Amino acid sequence: MIELIDVSKSFPGGGSPAVENLSLEIKDGEIVVLVGPSGCGKTTTLKMINRLIEPTSGTITISGEPVDTVPAHQLRRRIGYVIQQVGLFPHKTVGENIATVPELLGWSDGDIEARLNQLADAVQLEPEFLDRYPSELSGGQQQRVGVARALAADPPILLMDEPFAAVDPIVRAHLQDELLALQDRVHKTMVIVTHDIEEAIKLGDRIAILSDGGQLEQYAPPNEILREPANLFVANFLGTDRGIKRLSLIPVSAIELDRGPVVARGASEAETLEAMAAYGTDWFAVGQGTELDGWAPAADVGPDGVHEVRLEPFRTRLTPDSTLKDALDAVVSSHTSVAAIFNGDEFLGMVTADAIRDEILR
Amino acid sequence: MILAFFSWEWVFDHLDDIWDRTMEHLLLTVIAVFFGFLISFGLSITVLRNRRLFAPITAFTGVLYTIPSLALFALLVPITGLSVLTAEIGLISYTLLILVRNTVAGIDGVPMPVLEAAAGMGYTRRQLLWRVQLPLALPVIIAGVRIAAVTTIGLVTVTALIGQGGLGFFILRGLSLLFSPVGTTQIVVGVVLSVVLALVVDLALVGTQRALTPWAKAKEAV
Repeated sequence: MIELIDVSKSFPGGGSPAVENLSLEIKDGEIVVLVGPSGCGKTTTLKMINRLIEPTSGTITISGEPVDTVPAHQLRRRIGYVIQQVGLFPHKTVGENIATVPELLGWSDGDIEARLNQLADAVQLEPEFLDRYPSELSGGQQQRVGVARALAADPPILLMDEPFAAVDPIVRAHLQDELLALQDRVHKTMVIVTHDIEEAIKLGDRIAILSDGGQLEQYAPPNEILREPANLFVANFLGTDRGIKRLSLIPVSAIELDRGPVVARGASEAETLEAMAAYGTDWFAVGQGTELDGWAPAADVGPDGVHEVRLEPFRTRLTPDSTLKDALDAVVSSHTSVAAIFNGDEFLGMVTADAIRDEILR
Repeated sequence: MILAFFSWEWVFDHLDDIWDRTMEHLLLTVIAVFFGFLISFGLSITVLRNRRLFAPITAFTGVLYTIPSLALFALLVPITGLSVLTAEIGLISYTLLILVRNTVAGIDGVPMPVLEAAAGMGYTRRQLLWRVQLPLALPVIIAGVRIAAVTTIGLVTVTALIGQGGLGFFILRGLSLLFSPVGTTQIVVGVVLSVVLALVVDLALVGTQRALTPWAKAKEAV
């Protein structure tokens, strides 16, 4: 557990304090994201944890022990650190970069070698990159190396300062997904600084929203912050699309799925009309059990039922892990106004706009 | 025209002498650059620890640099005599400005994110200097050594006036025999060989830099 108790920091000649009387508790194994506008003291707060910045007053403890009981360089070797500009050592190969902290800790060559291969795998870096220099890597690859370097000595804590701000949005989304997948395996205590609320929502188990001078406006899980912003500052910071943002946190599997206007193969005209009436749709789908063949507009059903009808496939196929935001997107961009959910080839059900709204209002 | 005043015969008769003088020239240069580098390195580290010393140190080495070489040697002769020491004091003085400036500039040129990451990884200040700052400053430091070495090779010829001089010895003696083929031959030998020496030393330093900083090449290739 990392605990900040009444921590303040004033810079000489800096006027009002960068951080004032901030108290914050970070539990083992959770990802806490510090987010806020520039100048809110989030980076200062982060750097006080590994003592790149020393607080003016207050105490910071890790597992109950104040961080200033050991020399700063020893403390830092036990805390992984990733920065926006990555800061790889240009004169060292990728492998040597990753091995920085193990080397400082005096690991044997054999141990380092084994760890390097493990880490290259963990951050999805081709092993042949280990012998190249950082300048030969793309931005995304460099950031992966930065994460691997921070994890090298298996520190229980990882501090990340705007880790993905310097890469393009597509790479950023990839790296965020990879970080979450990595966290499922390594269970580190992570403190991440970002100015991007979307990133905070995506990555954080808990989000600390800071305003000027390191004032803690709200500290809660993303879902709770989006549902009940503590005050106007938080509400404004979250933006007007709070409801939609919250949808990105809820998996499709969390809500009850509708079967939808699905009729059996060879169903009669009457059966089909009845199914459409039940769901109030002007289209129907044909399927059997967990198989879903496709859909067709109401006008296509004739006296001989659905026998000869040409079916359109459901193009957007979501999974139970997809978010309600994905589902909403499928709803508004499909002719059928539903999102069809599949587990592999197995049809599970449909999500409707009503179901999504019910979830937001719940 | 020159050919008429150039005597290959003199050259072949004095091959041993020419070789010895060339080696002497090289030795005077190497000693000057070596000790100049040691002193400059100490001064640069002092500057890095205490920035306020940068202005006085560059001012002092700058003054040394502006003293005309002949005047400096003349001033030293009453104290240290017509000796190698006199020559080296002068030669070393002239390397300091270039070497201090380049060493400090090289270390200052290390990108901030690299320093921040290094500090965050848990490098001590000494480890940071030796394992990060100096290796990264090496191309700029060696560029300074190249300028210092080439400048020194030129200045060594002047020390002929105080009884040293390497290849400068031939130039000086050639000037005293100016209107004979033996005189012009010696001037040509002294001038040409000191230029060649400068080129060879410069190329050797470029090679050294490439060998020591393979990463800089990787950077250029991108």
